[in-house]
Amino acid sequence: MNAVVVPPGWDGGPGWLVLPSPEGAATAVELVERALDEASLLADAPLPMGLGLAAAGWQLGVTQLRAVTERLAQSGVTLVALCSDDPRSRVAAAAIGLQTSPPLPQRPAGAQPPGPAGGPGLALQRGTLRSGDHLEVEGSVLVLGDVNPGACVRAGGHVLVWGRLRGIAHAGCQGDTEARIVALQLRPLQLRIADAVARGPEDSPPAGMAEQASLVEGEIRLDPAQPCWPLAARA
Amino acid sequence: MTAQSSRFILICSGKGGVGKTTLTANLGIALARQGARTAVLDADFGLRNLDLLLGLENRIVYTAQEVLADSCRLEQALVKHKQQPNLALLPAGNPRMLEWLKPEDMRKIAAMVGEHFDYVLIDAPAGIEGGFRNAMAAAQEAIVVTTPEVSAVRDADRVIGLLNSEGVKPIQLVLNRVRPKMMASQEMLAVDDVTDILALPLLGLVLEDEQVIVSTNRGEPLTLGEAGSPAARAYLNVARRLLGEDVPLIDPSQERRGLRARIGRLMQTKIF
Ligand SMILES: Nc1ncnc2c1ncn2[C@@H]1O[C@H](COP(=O)(O)OP(=O)(O)OP(=O)(O)O)[C@@H](O)[C@H]1O
Ligand SMILES: [Mg+2]
Repeated sequence: MNAVVVPPGWDGGPGWLVLPSPEGAATAVELVERALDEASLLADAPLPMGLGLAAAGWQLGVTQLRAVTERLAQSGVTLVALCSDDPRSRVAAAAIGLQTSPPLPQRPAGAQPPGPAGGPGLALQRGTLRSGDHLEVEGSVLVLGDVNPGACVRAGGHVLVWGRLRGIAHAGCQGDTEARIVALQLRPLQLRIADAVARGPEDSPPAGMAEQASLVEGEIRLDPAQPCWPLAARA
Repeated sequence: MTAQSSRFILICSGKGGVGKTTLTANLGIALARQGARTAVLDADFGLRNLDLLLGLENRIVYTAQEVLADSCRLEQALVKHKQQPNLALLPAGNPRMLEWLKPEDMRKIAAMVGEHFDYVLIDAPAGIEGGFRNAMAAAQEAIVVTTPEVSAVRDADRVIGLLNSEGVKPIQLVLNRVRPKMMASQEMLAVDDVTDILALPLLGLVLEDEQVIVSTNRGEPLTLGEAGSPAARAYLNVARRLLGEDVPLIDPSQERRGLRARIGRLMQTKIF
């Protein structure tokens, strides 16, 4: 399996190069090299904010990270971040000036890895979902508009609504318990995250504050929305 | 006006019985009274009753069916209104037409009618199935009728989604059977609640008015007479707004608040 490039999201963050889990003899540098050789991967994705390396399952030392940085630099790409589940790799990355973060959890086998910053396949829905509309996407979804009563939006990842959510939303419908539902106005009929179900709140929403729903100890909880993206795992 | 500038307006709702046919009949008369050459097309082949509401049932000789089959000319099928010669009805054929009628047929009929009229109002059947889709095919713009009830609003929303996907626009809203008292006491969805969800420009508010039922039974739309009743004024105002006049709208649930508002209301009731 080859490394894949996730272009920068709508939020102006970095793009991501997602390494497959380490198996076989290929080193991280070799995989990066191979990805760069498939020139079109990077050619049609401008990376003004640089590129992050998502390397779940890898143990990368300073030497290897330097090699990757240099190889990318030769192609005019700046490595800015490392996303890894290995603390030692993160320390090494921090030592050479990269931003670091733990990865989002793995999806069930077969599904695409939920890469950082928008993830693979952030689907964009332009316009309001009206009664009777059903939208289902594999990754995360951003709805530019309302989700009206009688409409339903389901996503393997996050459900983001730049508008009012008044229908039904299901985030993490493949079982991702870290998935969130975020809306400018969160007054759904029903919310689901992974297997948890909750009815929407009855009271009217706080004015002018985006809200998010997330799973905390198996229960769906509403909070003011996190003012940043990617949605980091709860501490 | 030339044929190109005719407006083909679908009158639809999703939910049945919310007042589509009543609006079509009253709006047809009101537009005709303002001098617009207007045709109303009964696209509710299953439960046709536009002819009844207009008091034209006994004058029908041919219908859209014969026109499509080329067994009569369009002019023969169109039924001119007695008091308002600017208005004509194209009656629906028999319900069995539903089995073979296609969107192209409706488009063809509407285009023929459009050659002779400025406004073509198409009274859609309830639902979102074949009959509705046929009717939608003939339209360029739409008026969605709803009542301030959750189920009607839900169905209207669904219909708006379908209209959007077919590129029908503009879509405007008529809110029918409004009861200001129930709205004020929050027993009924407020005007804001409805427009908030449907996100359409409000073309008219029609109050619950028993004169509507009386006139329906007589086959004389309210807009034929002097604008005595609230609903009659509302229908006339819808026509004026459709013709481009700027007629202000008043939200009946808002205006009941406070003494000054109440006095204001007494003076403004003519606005509905
Ligand atoms: N503003 C109103 N006040 C009182 N009664 C009304 C009002 N508007 C409509 N009605 C009544 O509601 C009933 C249904 O109206 P109408 O036939 O126009 O609905 P429709 O949407 O065409 O129904 P269908 O879906 O069956 O075609 C009629 O009896 C009519 O008199
Ligand atoms: Mg009807």
